[in-house]
Amino acid sequence: MSATVLERLERLPRRNLTVLALKGVSTLVPGGWHNQTSPEELISDVLGSDDPELVQQVRARADELSRARHEGYRRALSLYDAVNRSQKAAGGLRVLANVAGALPLVKRVAVLTPASQTLQAVDLSLKVAAEMLAFTQVNGLPGDSFAAFGDSLREYTGEARVRMAALVCFDALLPLGDNALHRLDGLLGQVGSRELHQLPSYVGMASLLPGRGDAAHLSFVRRGVDQWLGWADGFVGDLGLSGQRAVRALETTIGPWHGGMEQLATFLDAFTDTYSHTGVQAVARRLVERAAAEI
Amino acid sequence: MSRSLRWGIGLLLVAGLLLGAFFFLPFRSWLPGGTVANIATREVVNGTLFNRLFPKPQTGEQLVFTQEKRGFSQARLKQGAEVRALLSISDVASSPASRNKFIHTEERIQSWPLVDQGSQASALLVADRFQVKVIGQGSGLDAQQRHELLGAFDLAALAALSPEAIQAPAIAPGRQALPPGRQSPLRFPFPGLKRQAPQAQPSQARIPQPAANRKPSIFNRANAALEPAA
Repeated sequence: MSATVLERLERLPRRNLTVLALKGVSTLVPGGWHNQTSPEELISDVLGSDDPELVQQVRARADELSRARHEGYRRALSLYDAVNRSQKAAGGLRVLANVAGALPLVKRVAVLTPASQTLQAVDLSLKVAAEMLAFTQVNGLPGDSFAAFGDSLREYTGEARVRMAALVCFDALLPLGDNALHRLDGLLGQVGSRELHQLPSYVGMASLLPGRGDAAHLSFVRRGVDQWLGWADGFVGDLGLSGQRAVRALETTIGPWHGGMEQLATFLDAFTDTYSHTGVQAVARRLVERAAAEI
Repeated sequence: MSRSLRWGIGLLLVAGLLLGAFFFLPFRSWLPGGTVANIATREVVNGTLFNRLFPKPQTGEQLVFTQEKRGFSQARLKQGAEVRALLSISDVASSPASRNKFIHTEERIQSWPLVDQGSQASALLVADRFQVKVIGQGSGLDAQQRHELLGAFDLAALAALSPEAIQAPAIAPGRQALPPGRQSPLRFPFPGLKRQAPQAQPSQARIPQPAANRKPSIFNRANAALEPAA
């Protein structure tokens, strides 16, 4: 809680499973992806100059901005963290269920875990909602500007595109199949407040979502997802993304995979944190762009 | 029950209540540190007002607004898919140190002081209150292009947004207390900084000089009509 955004950026891993998975996905997106973990490098990239005194000034200003609660940069990070924690918890639960399903005495655990498809659909839509809320926090727009979010998705370039490609591949195409985006609305229609409460991410995010009560939250999430789907359809079509291509791209960096796509998705959920990794990088960039303008 | 035990339990209860109140009641917003440099948000000009003052994009260009906060607004100038520059207007009320760089500059755009920071950034201080900045991105912009962009902002309308410009007539004669909420924002003393007059007038013109060795210059000639004949 006490770390500033740029300190969080510094602490990001340089090379681990998360970075490798993102590198793999970035081969599908023109422009590629660079694992930016150095605040100084980011600042001199934005500022177009590596004068140490200027870089120092920008960094001091960025730290001041991220310490101010009203500015929302850290709240955006706490949204990403909430989603990430729950993704790991849900992924871990499913890994456990997969393992336990093979053991005769504890087979019942597998029955207890929630239906994978609906759970995955809600997980994806909560991530989209978190993306939208973080967007409003960082850009300073009111919390329910759906249209502005839809427009801004079209402006995502470079790293932000890789970030969205990772979201589409890891959370939609791999676990839900190639027609995931068309099925998403139907799957969300089946979700009631009981399913919502089974998800740790919802419990973590409920206080950050606008509106009171599960019904209001669910309708907020569905409206956000509607905006996102409109854009994601075109994105998938443009880049020709599919589950098969995602697996092949991942195999170039993390090695051969012999299981099914669903298991790969579960594995990635449980052992990588791509969403908060790219989230920290995205917020840090916006913060530095502001700090550079204010020094 | 011994006396000390009763005191201990009592203190424990009070401490528990205080801690509980601190962590669970919404007191956080009252604590310092909520805003940048602890300046109340209503003393900072809202970024929404800045948006219409950005330069109008030319053909083939596109202006995409990216951030809009209290005291700050930023947009990207795009040409096709490439980002050419970051354009921003910020209120320096929350970053007083950023004015210092304008003290020693001689360059002016529409009479406001201009400073280049590094090889890709140019900043302009308008009405001693707003910083307008252009930062070249990607392949970059040269100084001339950046200065042209700075000049394309609606600087006159921006200067009019300054609280001093808005409040000036209300304060002028006998100072009256305004109703709460309509009072003029706090003005912070910034030692060593004088308000730049909008018209660039060299400071020597104001220093009274002995009439005998006064040289006729254009500035003195302009003021001559106002002065009583020696």
